Amino acid sequence: MKKLLSTLTVAATMVLGSSAMAADYPTKSVDMIVPFSAGGGNDTFVRALQPLLEKQLGQDLVIRNIAGGGGAVGTSRVAASNADGYTMLAASNAMLTLEAMGNVAFTHDDFDFIAKVIEEPYVIAVGDNDKYTDLASLVEATKDGTRVRVGVSGVGSSAHIAAVAMQNRTGANFNIIPYPGGSETISAAMGNHVDAVVLGGSELRSALESGRLTGLAMSYAERSDSLPDVPTFQEAGYDLTLTVWRGIAAPKGIPEEVEQQWVEAIQQIVADGSYEETAANLGTQLSPLYGDELDTFIDNSADVMREAAGDLAK
Amino acid sequence: MQRDIGKPLFDLLLVVASAAAFAVSMTLPNIEIVGDLSPAFFPMLISALVFLFAVPCLIKDFREWQAAGTDGERTGAPRGVAQWLLIVALALVYILIFERLGYIVSTAIFVFACVVGLLLTGGTWRELTNARRAKSLAGAAVFAAVLAVVIFYVFTELFEIPLPG
Amino acid sequence: MIAGYLDGLGMVLQFGTLLAIAGGTLLGIIMGALPGLTSAMAVALLLPVTFGMPPVMGIGMMLGALCGAGASGSIPAILLNIPGTPSSVATTFDGFPMAQKGEAGRALGLSIVASFFGGVASMVILSLLAPPIADFALRFGAAEYFSLSVFGLVIIASVAGKSLLKGLIAGLLGFFVSTIGTDPITGVDRFTFGELSLLTGINLLPALIGLFAVSQVLKDAFEYDPNQRLKDSGHRIDVARPRFMETLRNWRALLAGILSGSVVGPVPGAGGSIASLVAYDQTRRFSKHPEKFGTGHAPGIVSVESANNALLGGALIPTLALGIPGEAATAVLLGGLMIQGVTPGPMLFDDQSGIVYGIFLAYLVANIFMLLIMCLGIKLFIRVLMVPRKQLLSAILVLCFIGVYGVDGDVFNLYLMLGFGILGYFLNRYDFGTAPVILGLILGPIAESNLRRGLQAFEGDWTPFFTRPISLTFLVIAVGLLALTLWQNYRTRRVPATSSEKGE
Repeated sequence: MKKLLSTLTVAATMVLGSSAMAADYPTKSVDMIVPFSAGGGNDTFVRALQPLLEKQLGQDLVIRNIAGGGGAVGTSRVAASNADGYTMLAASNAMLTLEAMGNVAFTHDDFDFIAKVIEEPYVIAVGDNDKYTDLASLVEATKDGTRVRVGVSGVGSSAHIAAVAMQNRTGANFNIIPYPGGSETISAAMGNHVDAVVLGGSELRSALESGRLTGLAMSYAERSDSLPDVPTFQEAGYDLTLTVWRGIAAPKGIPEEVEQQWVEAIQQIVADGSYEETAANLGTQLSPLYGDELDTFIDNSADVMREAAGDLAK
Repeated sequence: MQRDIGKPLFDLLLVVASAAAFAVSMTLPNIEIVGDLSPAFFPMLISALVFLFAVPCLIKDFREWQAAGTDGERTGAPRGVAQWLLIVALALVYILIFERLGYIVSTAIFVFACVVGLLLTGGTWRELTNARRAKSLAGAAVFAAVLAVVIFYVFTELFEIPLPG
Repeated sequence: MIAGYLDGLGMVLQFGTLLAIAGGTLLGIIMGALPGLTSAMAVALLLPVTFGMPPVMGIGMMLGALCGAGASGSIPAILLNIPGTPSSVATTFDGFPMAQKGEAGRALGLSIVASFFGGVASMVILSLLAPPIADFALRFGAAEYFSLSVFGLVIIASVAGKSLLKGLIAGLLGFFVSTIGTDPITGVDRFTFGELSLLTGINLLPALIGLFAVSQVLKDAFEYDPNQRLKDSGHRIDVARPRFMETLRNWRALLAGILSGSVVGPVPGAGGSIASLVAYDQTRRFSKHPEKFGTGHAPGIVSVESANNALLGGALIPTLALGIPGEAATAVLLGGLMIQGVTPGPMLFDDQSGIVYGIFLAYLVANIFMLLIMCLGIKLFIRVLMVPRKQLLSAILVLCFIGVYGVDGDVFNLYLMLGFGILGYFLNRYDFGTAPVILGLILGPIAESNLRRGLQAFEGDWTPFFTRPISLTFLVIAVGLLALTLWQNYRTRRVPATSSEKGE
């Protein structure tokens, strides 16, 4: 379709120039498993990356949405497939959440993480910014025993876990109400059916930009360029750092040179700036991480999630 | 009005299944959340309602079955039943071989078996001469192969919907 | 604003843009006509293609796919009694009987024109009233969603067919099936029996394809009679052409469809699937000849199909004005918008760059292309009826498999589809019907989760469900409609009961 349409339309942007490749890999199209249905954050992230990766790798990237079980079905499928570099996973912290909740058979040790590409913070935002001007006023409002209604996307989701972590660190009293997805949560906050929401920054981006919702705090260590007006939890005096990240992973044990090719491809995409604007438009930012640094990052994130999920079970 | 024992039997199945569903619903675990109904509330409510509604249906359909007289049980032509079972069985086999044999092979087998199977169970086969039989078989084989290959390429290449290779 | 439209016109009236919109529309029509392939898939497929394009061109292409898929879902519904999407379920009620009477061409002609009018009208409403309608949609909290779903569930009574009691049972079956999976409030597993694929519940698509397509194939297989072909060949198929005048003569039905699509369509999550059923229900209820519905009555087709394309414009309202997509297809579209650097929200409508006007005009152009392509195509579509039964049955099953497997790549869903097919066959055979099951499956989770979410938010207090004005209004209408249905049922049962003792 792509080929057909790009020749049809005048937009001849796709020049499939195959860059010089040392090894033979890849000799055929590569399956990229998205463990969610089309239209989610994971899916958009990887579909935007698809043409760039195809250009770098010189082969087709076939995106397969294997949804179900909140990402469990697709992720399990990748864990069980051949580590030959022809089956890759669009990974995100959702897989660590699944692992932490303990419903799945895989752990993050069943994967070779190739790259973290983008990340975004969790943001706590309110619809009524007269009542809650900052994080302190929100926390204060719950001190007299009233509970603040906080919407999250999905029971047991990473946003849910993040909201629990925020509640525990700030000592506020939240009535956490799970909605089926991000858009339902945002519309509940816009209509003042809940007092606040905890969601990923990209989902909240257009609501924050339009001024319908106001971000009170976000979970980066430092303020980010994409949301310069939103203070961090650290600034408010709470030790809380969490990120939503998305990247590429493969089944454990893929050949060294395959991993190298992928890392080089992504490094190239990052270096030539072709993905930067897309990432920014999606409300995320490029934060590439590879190799040992990445493994340490994943291990730490998994620990944080496990700890927070433990709080959820209480 | 045809006499069909299946009608009251299906109602009976509903009665039994709803009772069983109610029993399983009662064993669902619960997590107390202020103000929330339990996770078991709706499954129990629904299965109870199905039970309540299915009992009068069972009584009515059973009476109608009795009243329909004894002029022979007719659940449909035996040929219809055979064709129905054939399609269900072939669909099941198709699912089993779908990923294992890949899309083109499994689809070709399925389509060929469907067309030939309907020829056999439909009774057309017996009326055909040997030459016509060979022609039908060849026709079915060509149809199956062309359909499988065309669909595979249209979907994987044009629509980029990945199918098992 | 005029200047904005002129700028927008400049963006749309370029060769490349028009070509892109036409290509998107064609793709949408093809994918919408194949049972199981969804408009969300069509838009997702186009997403990477649109990156290099200017915003109006890329968005126009995706809108074309949405528009085409919205209209062409009626083709299999009319010709084969197989709805490809929940919103074309109601098309089968009158479309298929009309086709069986030998008037398939008339049914298609009506549905195409009704889709076109529905789409154009919703574009006008979208461009004029999007911000206020979006604000109205925001007032829907848990209580309002619950009451809306109760209102929707009352429609079951209207689509139930021969027996009201059996229709209710079918609706409840759908409702029960919807509780399978992770509980939306507590996160407890319900009836999953350790199956990973069931954790997020029963997918709508395998259920829909099973209940309607597979069950229909099984029915055809049961009734397949090789000797019938001789009789069929004498069976005349009428001329297929668009029916402008006849559609306009049914202006009440057209208006009901447009209103229902534009008002119910924007409600995120619930509107898309029920708008066309609401339109059908209302048209029939206030018709002078309600008994003609279900037998191939033109207003039945016109109301459903105009609602079907009007709801696309309706669904675009919260997507563009608030950045809140109602369902999968608009969610993918939203992703495309954001990649293009177009941020949805109230500001989009104040923006002077003309992009938003370009989007409206692109949607209008997409509707025109839809009309043209469909008009050219109907003579082709109708040939499906000439394919011999044996081959047609197996080809339909093959397409069902692709549709269900293609979405999530999960073989488990194929078993589900077959299971629902067998269930659907018996439900139809014993007068329960399958349309109520789908309604229960779609509306059940909305009813349950919003009732419980509301109770959680109101800390266990039930009164807000009855005191909030929108919620109360829906509940009152629901009770009123239910009473009306029971009264009409009672009266129609009295009449034959006195004339003949036997009943039916």
